[in-house]
Amino acid sequence: MLVDLIRSLGRYGLSQISFLGRMGIFFYHMVRGLARAPRKFWPTMRQVLFIGSKSLFVISFTAVFTGMVLGLQGYYTLSRFGAKGMLGAAVALSLIRELGPALAAIMVTGRAGSAMCAEIGIMRIEEQIDALECMAVDPHAYLITPRLLASLIAIPLLTAIFDVVGIFGGYLVGVALLGTNPGAFITGMEKTVEWNDVHMGIVKSLIFSVLVIWICTYKGYFTGVDKGYFGPEEVSRATTEAVVLASVAILVSDYAVTSIML
Amino acid sequence: MSDSPFIALQKLNSYYGSRQILHEIECTIPRRKITVIMGISGCGKSTLLRHLIGLKPTEAGEMSIEGKDVGTFDESDMRAYRMRMGVLFQGGALFNSLTVAQNVATPLKVHTRLADSTIAIMAAIKLHLVGLTGAADRMPSQLSGGMRKRAGLARALAMDPEILFVDEPSSGLDPITAAGLDDLILELRETLGMTIVVVTHELESAFRIADQMIVMDAGKILVAGAPEEIKSNRDPRVVQFLERRADERRTEDESYMASLLGGRKVECEIEE
Repeated sequence: MLVDLIRSLGRYGLSQISFLGRMGIFFYHMVRGLARAPRKFWPTMRQVLFIGSKSLFVISFTAVFTGMVLGLQGYYTLSRFGAKGMLGAAVALSLIRELGPALAAIMVTGRAGSAMCAEIGIMRIEEQIDALECMAVDPHAYLITPRLLASLIAIPLLTAIFDVVGIFGGYLVGVALLGTNPGAFITGMEKTVEWNDVHMGIVKSLIFSVLVIWICTYKGYFTGVDKGYFGPEEVSRATTEAVVLASVAILVSDYAVTSIML
Repeated sequence: MSDSPFIALQKLNSYYGSRQILHEIECTIPRRKITVIMGISGCGKSTLLRHLIGLKPTEAGEMSIEGKDVGTFDESDMRAYRMRMGVLFQGGALFNSLTVAQNVATPLKVHTRLADSTIAIMAAIKLHLVGLTGAADRMPSQLSGGMRKRAGLARALAMDPEILFVDEPSSGLDPITAAGLDDLILELRETLGMTIVVVTHELESAFRIADQMIVMDAGKILVAGAPEEIKSNRDPRVVQFLERRADERRTEDESYMASLLGGRKVECEIEE
């Protein structure tokens, strides 16, 4: 019994080490793809359209309600201390430093990351990735690198849009609905938000961009490889794992980056 | 060099995890000939193909291409080898997001600096070669099984490869379409002098196109040689394969019952 337990623990440990090692090698290939053929301008632009433009609605929708909730919660919390005038600052700082980058990246993971993982996973099970290798085409440079470049362009822009729309949502509730002074809302925001806060948001969104693409494309790329079974259920399993792992990685790295940059 | 084999395998063993798939494989792929690898499902022929196209590394034994051991290949050697080969996968492996013409143009776009208009003409020539002139703008999902294979073949031929690997060209196709693909493979060898390796379990197709045949069973080569030699071979397993006879049922009733019960013996008395 004890031997079985130790054996299964050992097997689990080895599989995790193998997983981390393969992720590291995949990351190296993904970055190396930046310097390699094939030509990437149009594939990257297509991915910008897919990751960025097509996520605009879901990002704006999430942002406006996040801002509204922040406005509502912030108003009642700050009013206890007689600091309703700081509502603009509270909403803006929360969004720019934390919620904007994290929620935008999580929404992109759910909408675009899952689709990327499924698309690449299907390419794996239908031997399309093997076909690329047999054509002497680097699959990382062909499939992953344009997505990485596109996410580095699109996710920071989506984060900026999330911040602006979220602040508008907070303004809507705080000022239009609950009657906070609009001048105090805007001035408080202007006086409190500094370049360092915006900088932190940008750094986070860039890190999250890499994480989303790294994890989601990795999971798709190795769909079924461990089991040696390439069926449709492997694609669904890989997609679920990709979304969960990427979301957790975003939140964990959010804490790590915040603790380093504060 | 012209008479030496294109590819030679010596004592090749292959594994998936701890499971051994190929045992001591020794064979050669001659130049400008059609070599057919045959065997029943699960005999290891697809694994052998994955070794030949460089998708599975050689773990034990040796595979040499024009006398050079693949085990010593670095990334650029492997890339150079792959630039010389074309592969038609069993399902075609077409890129679903691209049209048929874009699929065929992909290797040309990546490996050449030709103008888009020239690439489009070259793709059209390859599609004409496989009889798919009218399907250039269709998406792979709009093609029938046979058309997908022919489109895959056009893409495999895009870079004018020296060696062509074809995985199960006839499976799932009607006899007329399958015969058309066989004709095309023969034409490629005759007109372009291409070295072709075909993996199949379709006997009729195999004997029609093969210059050399390799018959596999349970990860081993049973026999290799010209089609006439294979036909006259008296090895019981080869004869059984060629005569399409099913394996005899060897399972005893008692052991079958035991296997259902997880290895426990069945004891019962029958009253007369």
